[in-house]
Amino acid sequence: MHGPVADTIQFIDLNFAYIVFLVIVGFIGGLVSGFIGSGGAFVLTPGMMSLGVPGTVAVASNMCHKFPKALVGSIKRYRYGQVDIKLGLIMGVFAEIGVQVGIMVQKHILETWGEAGSNLYVSVSFVTVLVIVGSFVLRDALKLRKSGGDGWVQPPIAARLQKIELWPMMTFKRANLRISVWFIIPVALATGMLAATIAVGGFIGVPGLMYIIGATSIVASATELVVAFVMGLGGTLIWAFYGMVDIRLTLLILGGSLFGVQLGAIGTTYVKDYMIKYVMATIMLIVAVSRFLAMPKYMNKLNLTSFSDASVALMTQMSFYIMCFALLTGAMIILVNMFKARSAESALERAAQAQA
Amino acid sequence: MKDTMHRNIRPLTVLQRVETDASAQQCSLAKKSCILLVTKNSRLADPVMDYAINVADRMNCKVLASYVNTLPLLDNDGMHPRLAASAIQQNGDAFKAKAAARGVEFEYVRESGKISKVISRLCRMVKRVEFVLIDQGIKIEEAAFGSPVPVFNIVCTDTRTGKMIDNRQAKKISYGEKNMKATSRKSHLLKTLIFGTMTAALYAAVFTNSEFVMTYFTRGGIYALLPVATVFVFSYAHGSFTSNFWSALGIEGSKATVQKQAEKSKTVDKRRDTRPRVQASA
Repeated sequence: MHGPVADTIQFIDLNFAYIVFLVIVGFIGGLVSGFIGSGGAFVLTPGMMSLGVPGTVAVASNMCHKFPKALVGSIKRYRYGQVDIKLGLIMGVFAEIGVQVGIMVQKHILETWGEAGSNLYVSVSFVTVLVIVGSFVLRDALKLRKSGGDGWVQPPIAARLQKIELWPMMTFKRANLRISVWFIIPVALATGMLAATIAVGGFIGVPGLMYIIGATSIVASATELVVAFVMGLGGTLIWAFYGMVDIRLTLLILGGSLFGVQLGAIGTTYVKDYMIKYVMATIMLIVAVSRFLAMPKYMNKLNLTSFSDASVALMTQMSFYIMCFALLTGAMIILVNMFKARSAESALERAAQAQA
Repeated sequence: MKDTMHRNIRPLTVLQRVETDASAQQCSLAKKSCILLVTKNSRLADPVMDYAINVADRMNCKVLASYVNTLPLLDNDGMHPRLAASAIQQNGDAFKAKAAARGVEFEYVRESGKISKVISRLCRMVKRVEFVLIDQGIKIEEAAFGSPVPVFNIVCTDTRTGKMIDNRQAKKISYGEKNMKATSRKSHLLKTLIFGTMTAALYAAVFTNSEFVMTYFTRGGIYALLPVATVFVFSYAHGSFTSNFWSALGIEGSKATVQKQAEKSKTVDKRRDTRPRVQASA
């Protein structure tokens, strides 16, 4: 093994209940990831930790399952013509740099304020980013839903940025846009930094692709899978170098998530563009509530607040359940809308056949 | 569409003994004039089908389609006979529905043997065949050789790209489109079984040797490549399994989206006109 941490790591023994739990959470996570491009894995790290898996192993094993899931999802969505590989690879490279910057920031906070400070930083980042971006995406989704959601209009910021001819300009055929690389880099870096902080870069990546770069939500969520693949592969190689990946956990989660990611990708072909925004915003806002409830625990440790131990324990437990609820809600919206649209399409087909 | 007509001037001197097919015998088209459609595929190309219905509607005649197996001894040109029968039935039913919508009577028969002989046989049996319309993939000379009536073929052009669809392409398209329904479910089911077995074997290999696996996979350093390579192998086997699993259950992407994608990929840029031009230099 490499590194001092790896020598003390204990890998858990698996029983049937753990296996079923990991496969089911993997499936639901995969479903959400396949649909909105990311965001399905954030329950897995705390979920694995609740089974007794050490934090670093949980993060490493989660990371190791994310990149093959993203690969399978992006291949599926590429077949539907939704992925811009060039945009995804460019963003992925800069997002990887963002991950390294994010890790450095985390290390600095850990050294300065200790573990509680680091956890509080993570929770504050979670709540701030998710509330701001989530509300913006939800407002946009509701507006589109009200107008029927048939027409797609380029967001004003993206339209302005695309007009600026700043070398090097790049054309992305599938995303149908031409933009300077200098506007892609900040989005990618922020995606990577958020991935290093809260493990879900897509909460910045997908809205960034939609509102700053100017891709449609279908293309943005599909391209984010390529970004997740690049970031996940890089992250996995680092974690595996230190011997932190528990391949058994990875494979069990993968067992469920590959079923989910395929179904999520299929779902994107049935729903209207705004539905991706709607699902994403719903998950983001519920997760924000969950992380908000986790904050008192760390604030108590830093002597910023003085909640009783019983209340902190209750809020921590609620935080985890609300996180699971967020994922389940997202999955339910996806499945219900997908099967509704599917049956509507079949009914139309039958009617056309009867007419003929 | 461009029609070409070949009149067969060779008189039928020898009346061959007709081996009547059971389905052909039951054909009730003897009294009314009809158009004979002949294909050696398991489906008729859409333009041929549409043209036949249009003309039959105008001429107030019936349509008889003949699906000819030209290689009966070679297991239907590599295709399993049952699948071919299923595809023919589907195509025939679709044609019947199309014809019924225009008020045109339609029947189809399955034949085997040489195209010229089949045409000759059917023309003599049905009596009032006005003309024969052949599908893509059949040589007009071959069809005209056995026909006592005029033979036409349909040359289709892709109007959007201006590109002509040749017989080989038409055959590919017809195989792709038509047999899809009949075969895709079965093919997905087969692939699900193959990749499912492969995935189960991989999982069994890892979990029955979990101690050995964990020892080497957590060593770090160059051994970091082991978990990465493993998940790549799993993502291939398990990814293919899950994809085929949903397809076998009939859960696939929206047809509208897939069709849109196919149309996009079919678009071909117009070839540049590189012909030399007269240039005037002042």
